[in-house]
Amino acid sequence: MRRLIEVWRSTVFQKWVMAVTGVMLGGFLLAHLAGNLLIFVGANDMNAYAVELRELLHGSAIWVLRAALVIGLVLHVRAGIVLAQRNRKASGGRYAVTSYQRSTPASRTMLLSGLLILSYVAYHLAHFTFGAVHAEYYHYFDAMGRHDVYRMVVESFRQPVITILYVVAIIVTGFHLQHAIASAFQTIGINHPRYSPVIRMSGTLLSILIVIGFISVPMAIIFGFVQ
Amino acid sequence: MNTELSGRTPLGSLADKWEKHKNELKLVNPSNKRKYSVIVVGTGLAGSSAAATLAELGYNVTAITYNDSPRRAHSIAAQGGINAAKNYQNDGDSVWRLFYDTIKGGDFRAREANVYRLAQVSGNIIDQCVAQGVPFAREYGGYLANRSFGGAQVSRTFYARGQTGQQLLLGAYQALSRQVGLGKVNLLTKKEMMDVVVVDGRAHGVVIRDLVDGKIEALTADAVLLCTGGYSNVFYLSTNAKACNVTAVYRAYKRGALFANPCFTQIHPTCIPVSGDYQSKLTLMSESLRNDGRIWVPKERGDTREPNRIPEDERDYYLERKYPSFGNLSPRDIASRAAKEVCDDGRGVGPGGKGVYLDFADAINRLGRNVIEDRYGNLFEMYQRITGEDPYSVPMRIYPAVHYTMGGLWVDYNLMSNVNGLFVLGEANFSDHGANRLGASALMQGLADGYFIIPYTLGGYLASTGVGERTEAVREKATEAVQHSEEKIRHLLAIKGNRTPTSFHRELGKIMWDKCGMARNEQGLRSALVEIPQLRDEFWNNLKVPGTGEELNQSLEHSSRVADFLEFAELMVRDALHRNESCGGHFREEFQTEDGEAKRNDNEFTYVAAWEYNGNNAPLMHKEHLRFENVELATRSYK
Amino acid sequence: MNLRLHIWRQKEPGAQGMLKTYDVADVSEHMSFLEMLDVLNERLLENGEDPVAFEHDCREGICGTCGIVINGRPHGPVPKTTVCQLHMRSFHDGDSITIEPWRASAFPVVKDLVVDRSAFDRIVQKGGFVSVNTGNAPDGNAIPVPKVNADLAMDAASCIGCGACVAACPNASAMLFTAAKIGHLHSLPQGQTEKGARVYNMVLAMDDEGFGACTNHLECEAACPKGISALFIAKMNAEFVINSLL
Repeated sequence: MRRLIEVWRSTVFQKWVMAVTGVMLGGFLLAHLAGNLLIFVGANDMNAYAVELRELLHGSAIWVLRAALVIGLVLHVRAGIVLAQRNRKASGGRYAVTSYQRSTPASRTMLLSGLLILSYVAYHLAHFTFGAVHAEYYHYFDAMGRHDVYRMVVESFRQPVITILYVVAIIVTGFHLQHAIASAFQTIGINHPRYSPVIRMSGTLLSILIVIGFISVPMAIIFGFVQ
Repeated sequence: MNTELSGRTPLGSLADKWEKHKNELKLVNPSNKRKYSVIVVGTGLAGSSAAATLAELGYNVTAITYNDSPRRAHSIAAQGGINAAKNYQNDGDSVWRLFYDTIKGGDFRAREANVYRLAQVSGNIIDQCVAQGVPFAREYGGYLANRSFGGAQVSRTFYARGQTGQQLLLGAYQALSRQVGLGKVNLLTKKEMMDVVVVDGRAHGVVIRDLVDGKIEALTADAVLLCTGGYSNVFYLSTNAKACNVTAVYRAYKRGALFANPCFTQIHPTCIPVSGDYQSKLTLMSESLRNDGRIWVPKERGDTREPNRIPEDERDYYLERKYPSFGNLSPRDIASRAAKEVCDDGRGVGPGGKGVYLDFADAINRLGRNVIEDRYGNLFEMYQRITGEDPYSVPMRIYPAVHYTMGGLWVDYNLMSNVNGLFVLGEANFSDHGANRLGASALMQGLADGYFIIPYTLGGYLASTGVGERTEAVREKATEAVQHSEEKIRHLLAIKGNRTPTSFHRELGKIMWDKCGMARNEQGLRSALVEIPQLRDEFWNNLKVPGTGEELNQSLEHSSRVADFLEFAELMVRDALHRNESCGGHFREEFQTEDGEAKRNDNEFTYVAAWEYNGNNAPLMHKEHLRFENVELATRSYK
Repeated sequence: MNLRLHIWRQKEPGAQGMLKTYDVADVSEHMSFLEMLDVLNERLLENGEDPVAFEHDCREGICGTCGIVINGRPHGPVPKTTVCQLHMRSFHDGDSITIEPWRASAFPVVKDLVVDRSAFDRIVQKGGFVSVNTGNAPDGNAIPVPKVNADLAMDAASCIGCGACVAACPNASAMLFTAAKIGHLHSLPQGQTEKGARVYNMVLAMDDEGFGACTNHLECEAACPKGISALFIAKMNAEFVINSLL
């Protein structure tokens, strides 16, 4: 037991927690993106998807997923904060002149970008999942009596404030991911002189695709491709 | 006055001596070992390996280094390799051949039995290091690779890229660290040895100074091992690390230990030439480069053309010309002197004409750049960093530089000095290399002493003498030695003159290089005997050291070391003056053959000159006559 | 060339330090950086001032004793070069150069540019070795080692323990140092028997010394004078979790 506690507290294990939960959250993000892109298929499919998600396995699946996500998120954020505190203490006052070579603005601001994303997620959930803010868009039902997710999304994104916040948050997320993807591979021990450059590039590429994917929805709405 | 010394070499045939001696040495019972305490000064190859091995056996070990970590010791800078008579190459190597090459390379001025033992244990060293995880170079089949080194016609040198010393030291450091972690070695870093506590001819401990807070204290023990390296820095410019010094062995000398053959210093032929007055040290380019590099100078004096524009037939590959059978792999003393000769002849290259070319063009054409890069890549990079020239396209410029000192404290076959309980290992002793050391043999000797010799001979000593009682006399002597060291520090700080320690060191170095360097003569040596005391007087009257003795004070550390160099230099010159012959690294211009080769005088000088400190009077010389029962004293020829 | 130096001066551990400005004239481009500091120190000494304390020993890039941060870069601007091998030809007349010590809580400043790196030794003491007593060893050729493994081990083993990785890391993490020692031993058959205990004990020792965690900035790899790859960190990460949990 003592050994397990020691392992849990170690920096390397906390980095693993960070990486594994990060991969989970990233997976969620991709699934979320896939769902979002249904908007281009049409209102019917999107609303059907929403219902299916809620009713899968008699409604239990979504709760299992939500629980996993919440645990993952808590562990991810906690590890981030604990390690950042530790690192601040370890670095012991920095240099009068700094000159970075390999680190990136993304890598140096992971805690900040992470916290920004976290606060946006809270707002985003309150908006689209719980209807606690912008409740006016939450109570639409389509012809089949389903929650009209499609209309909620379309009308919400016609509001400039909502769209701007959303776009900023997605860009910050892309920024976070740009470092996170390659970093997760390194943390769990996948590094090879031949493949790592490919991993790093793919990570950046994937981050950009995710950003484009998410942003395409409000853009399509604003420019009238999606009505 | 002069007494005949005995190396206490065991009887029996050369090949059986060590085995027989080990069987006859008394043993310390395993449970009694922890009752004995041993101080090891220095944590290079010899010190770390000895401290680790003695702790494994169960002794109470204290290891001392002036560096911030044992891993910084200068053994780390050895590049080329370590010899061992493994005969893995099936090229006819044997213990006998390694022994013979070493004793011949040393110009027949080493003790036969010691050298033979060294060759005998050489194979065990490789085994031990491999087991520790030293990443020696391997062939594709997974077996150990070898290369050739100067002075040998077999390939017996094991290596780890150009960082063999580093890897061997890290192996010993790791073994030592393991014992520190287990609590069996008390490791003291940033502590410099100031004195040895000697009572009734037995060493009872040392005095050390903490380099961070200046505190001076005595440590007592049943035996003291000095593994403190060589004194090349008496020349100021050498390939040694900046902190390398003579202080530990010199202060032991002042407490009665005999100093043997101090004039035997090695000049390494392949170093990067001096570039200016500010130069603080010289950088060695590994001898292994001579495996593939060809050394040459222009045939014409004052030829200032770019090297690549000098046609083949206007180049003088002088080593290949003079020594056809060893060629570019001639031993160090020979190659150095040959370089000096061509430069003195006005055919040297580079600024000031103090350099010769080491050219890889042929090897690159023959083997391809990749092979050369694989073999010497890091050395080429280093050369380029220092000189700003690319050795793949322009030949390197090299010049000899002081590198190693064969002389050191006199020790018997058990590696014990004439002071009981004071053992001396590695470069600090005089034992195995005679008047000239072959490449890749220093690492071998340091580790042989530490891993495979001292564990036996120290046990024999302790078993026969018992625990050194901390008597009133010992305590008094320890206190007195501490006060003496404190007084010395106070004195250095109190001079408050105008010259920095570095300026004295530099001046001393110049005297030594000019008068007691690669070539020596009576007139020069005599004038050095006048100049050194004058400089010493000025030092004690005009030295400037800032700060106090109770803080990290690098100028004070340096001054204290320079003070000892200033005394030791005189001893070295005296030794060089008395040895009326040329042998190995000691080349007296008066004693040479018509074609400029060293002329040994076996009738009069087949002995070790061991000097005894005699206060303000001239030191007394004792002789240990060297008896060669197994090899014939041949003229060393590499032609 | 003439240079303006801003050098960190600190009298003793824990004391308040500050950057002090010194002008150095007539610097030759063939000098090493440390020789340039020697020149400054000789002048300070002659003027009766306290010379700048800095560590150095072999001056050929292998002992790992020297190490200062020059304009924000450990060991200065030239890649794969220790400061003792950095030559002034990398600078220009009129340059302003800021010189600071390694900064990390686990490397407290002793004086000026000198820091205490004994934490590294303590990490090694916890497992950076093969437990083989002298005399135990079989013949050196008894265990063949594939050349690629021997080369990989050598890549990792070329670490000089200078601490530039810690100094460069925004988190002052000692992962590259620790991983290099582990990577060296684990690339060889001799290192296999104690693999689990080694990685476990060394990682914990590293944490205990107060070094930061790795956030994969890879500044360590860029600063390492021996060019040791962060690949070894990845390997250590995997080995730590596999060996500690299984």
